[in-house]
Amino acid sequence: MKKIQKNIRQKINKEITCYEWHSSIVLEGIVDSWDDVVKAGKLAANKGYKGVVNKIEVKNLSIPDIKKPLLKDNYLHGKKVDVLIIGGGIIGCAIARELSKWDISILIIEKEEDLAMHTSSRNDGMIHPGILPKPGTKKAIFNVRGNKLYSKVTKELDVPFRRIGSLMLFEGNYMKLLLPYIKLRAKQNRVEGIQYLSADAIRKRVPAITKDISGGIFVPTTGILSPYKMTIAYGENAVLNGAEISFNTIALSMKKEHESIKAVQTNRGTIYPNLVINAAGVYSDKIAEMAGDQFFTIHPRKGQTIILDKKKGKLIDIVIAKSSLRKSTRSNTKGGGIVKTIDGNILVGPDAYEQPYREDYTTTRENIENIMKKHFPLIPQLSPKDVINYFAGIRAATYEEDFIVEKSEYVENLIHAAGIQSPGLASAPAIAEEIEKITINVLNDIQEVKPKENWNPIRKGIPQLNKMNKYERDRLIKERPDYGIIICRCEEISKGEIIDSIKSPIPAKSIDAIKRRVRPGMGRCQGGFCLPLVSKIIEEETELDMLSITKKGNKSQILSKETKEPDFDNEGGEASGDI
Amino acid sequence: METYDVVVLGAGPAGLAAGLEAAKRGGKTLIIERESRPGGILKQCIHDGFGLIEFKEKLSGPEYAERYIRMVRDKNIPIMTSTFATKVLKDKDKFIITLVNSNKGVFEIESKTMILANGCRERTSKQIFIHGSRPSGVYTAGTAQYFINILGYLPCKKCVILGSGDIGLIMARRLTLEGAKVIGVYEAKTTPSGLTRNIVQCLYDYDIPLYLSRTITRIIGDDRVEGVIINEVDENMKPIKGTEKLVECDGVILSVGLIPENEIAESLGIEIDKFTKGPCVDHNFMTLEDGVFSCGNALHVNDLVDYVTESGRYAGERAVVYAKNNIEKNLVKVNMSVNDFLYVVPQYIDITSNNKKVVLYFRSREIRKNVVVQIKYDNKIVFTRKYRVLRPPEMQRIELDLTELKMSKDKDFCIVMKEGQY
Repeated sequence: MKKIQKNIRQKINKEITCYEWHSSIVLEGIVDSWDDVVKAGKLAANKGYKGVVNKIEVKNLSIPDIKKPLLKDNYLHGKKVDVLIIGGGIIGCAIARELSKWDISILIIEKEEDLAMHTSSRNDGMIHPGILPKPGTKKAIFNVRGNKLYSKVTKELDVPFRRIGSLMLFEGNYMKLLLPYIKLRAKQNRVEGIQYLSADAIRKRVPAITKDISGGIFVPTTGILSPYKMTIAYGENAVLNGAEISFNTIALSMKKEHESIKAVQTNRGTIYPNLVINAAGVYSDKIAEMAGDQFFTIHPRKGQTIILDKKKGKLIDIVIAKSSLRKSTRSNTKGGGIVKTIDGNILVGPDAYEQPYREDYTTTRENIENIMKKHFPLIPQLSPKDVINYFAGIRAATYEEDFIVEKSEYVENLIHAAGIQSPGLASAPAIAEEIEKITINVLNDIQEVKPKENWNPIRKGIPQLNKMNKYERDRLIKERPDYGIIICRCEEISKGEIIDSIKSPIPAKSIDAIKRRVRPGMGRCQGGFCLPLVSKIIEEETELDMLSITKKGNKSQILSKETKEPDFDNEGGEASGDI
Repeated sequence: METYDVVVLGAGPAGLAAGLEAAKRGGKTLIIERESRPGGILKQCIHDGFGLIEFKEKLSGPEYAERYIRMVRDKNIPIMTSTFATKVLKDKDKFIITLVNSNKGVFEIESKTMILANGCRERTSKQIFIHGSRPSGVYTAGTAQYFINILGYLPCKKCVILGSGDIGLIMARRLTLEGAKVIGVYEAKTTPSGLTRNIVQCLYDYDIPLYLSRTITRIIGDDRVEGVIINEVDENMKPIKGTEKLVECDGVILSVGLIPENEIAESLGIEIDKFTKGPCVDHNFMTLEDGVFSCGNALHVNDLVDYVTESGRYAGERAVVYAKNNIEKNLVKVNMSVNDFLYVVPQYIDITSNNKKVVLYFRSREIRKNVVVQIKYDNKIVFTRKYRVLRPPEMQRIELDLTELKMSKDKDFCIVMKEGQY
């Protein structure tokens, strides 16, 4: 303890104090920059303590509070459930689905208006093979197991998934020296089938690739899928098996008795769970704190990613990255790369940098330009003109840089699935199975738990027209004529698909929610043509009117008012208040 | 399988004119439209000024479209609406077009020729690298126009408009008339991108300020737009650091350029002109793929609907000629200097064609005063016109008769611009 404190004081400032709490180390003090906060956390990490609780503050830096839903009601008041899952991302939904095998009541609360609104929709959809994580870490174990499980679970849940393989490229011949090291790592982590390819062999496989490579490693088990479709599929299957989801619902506080959570207060009333699962992503440390069990800290690591037009999708059918092995073994900086998505676009990025904000998804010119500069040369035919959009995501990193998948040491009925950063998506099925085991063990002490007799692992997705052959498509249109009306011309999405997403087990009610399910507006015109048409379909198919339709819930209305209304407040339209 | 001489994709002004002309010339014609009604983008253009050349009248968009729709209906030319072309395959001397609609499901038709009249789409905020957050309230001008004019809803109450293209200017007026406050129109270039008449009638008449050499660099707001950061830009349109200014608003309307829709052309491997972003064509409006024609805004973005109609009419006429007698081609490139011209269409002259009339459309790269535009063949001047002023937003049209020219493949055909006395 003293050694750590001395080290931090030497490298940052003298005001920082360290003390022990349970088996963790807590840091307190004030520093000049966020970088110093992260530096202090890293200096204290993996030094024999279970976790770093970093309470160091930055002078003059105000970090916005968690974004809360506007909704307030008593919809959930007094509700009793066996398992309460906090967070509707891929982890929360995968857990709910695995737990739905059991005859227990399950409730997911999610503060946004839909699933997968944060990290789970803000990544490149790559199912990592599991070479990069350090052998023996939870990351390594869950990644490799999760990767394997995806073959089965995507089939059961009808989510398009392909093992397209990845190429780790070597720029110079000297990098071949890494080869034995990578092979050993693959062996340790049990990643099968990797092989070295010469520059010629790589060019044969990916003709569009630059000439400036000396060779690389092909990893056949790397896969791709749509991370938000996967999350929704997990969620839907859970719901079809009896789980419930409450949106616009945020956990505000917890009431404990004898080291056990008795009640969880939300903006929609108080819930009484037998067991709580923390799957709150970038806020998982705050949930742990709420339960009096904060032994780790999330430091949000942001990354930005570029989306390219499908026209250029033809150029590759693989995941490409320059070898970043040395870097990633040392710490955590991801190199990013070029990913062909399951829908045919190319994603470029992400980058990775530390910053204090957990929900700041703004993109910046510098980052996007740097990503283009770094990766575009790998495929010389890519150009800034191919960019159709870009986005940012936040990784829920702990200072230990490993997943936390365990029962709380001190709170009897709390289980953490926290610190799930990259490769979290790839690991999700395995993490969910592990949490299922832990949960059933813990629940067994509280109540009787039996398997559900009629559990159905199968979930059917919405038919995807542009992937059907003409006979299948023709038959479907004869049955459902709405499938013959194309609404989104860029992605060829029909009215039938949009209606199905609105009527699905977890109904889509906003423009973005529909987009996550069936893609209208994801093409090169970015909704320029179809946004009004999709809005109109929502109006027709739901109880919403045009003025209350939102882009993504809360106050993100698409329209302001009807035209030709008498308007006595014409001074810029501010005074009337509502948008 | 139904077989046609001419299948027109798109029932906007270009497609309607093309279909009408093709049918008039005796071709068995079908017009395919992906929307539920013909008329294309004209349906939402309720402002006037359409048809001054074509009808010698000032019409609104729907009125202009209606006249053509009626002519097409009178000729009993079939228009298949709510029908989407999913695939086009070339099979020897004909095309097999796969279509989908809710009545017939998935079906195929055959045609000897195809006219691409799909129009264009708007560039979006990310395509011009506007950063920041992604709230609701950011619309292209065309989307805002659809919401207001077709559906009857205002997308915002207080907005900024980026880009001084014609639809941006027209929307500035339209939003104002519907009671929204337009804080200003911002333009990254040093000169406006829209027609002068629209600058005057849409901005000056309504006291809407126009700010040149400025652009939006960042959008602010989580759920809904709360404001934008405006930067001054240098001569390369790069934002100047330190000039950031916050403008509060609840809407951003983008009018930052149009791009021809050429997905079908690209799927056939047809060469695309990097300047127009539409296919390269010869003076018969045929692309470099035999039997495929292109016209209207799918070919290059026009400033007046009258030119769109005109190009459709030529394409329709020539498609029938082609369908009836498979012709040999011999193309000569129309050379131009990219320092003087933004583009010139057509990009080629077919010297074996029996059509000796050439219509050239061009735009100057910059504002140029007192210039002469000449067409030279084999270093001899065959056409001269003087211009007091040329502006990039105003497309120019030149008509040329090749009858007297004995053209051959190895001689240079070019269009030049030079300073000259007016």
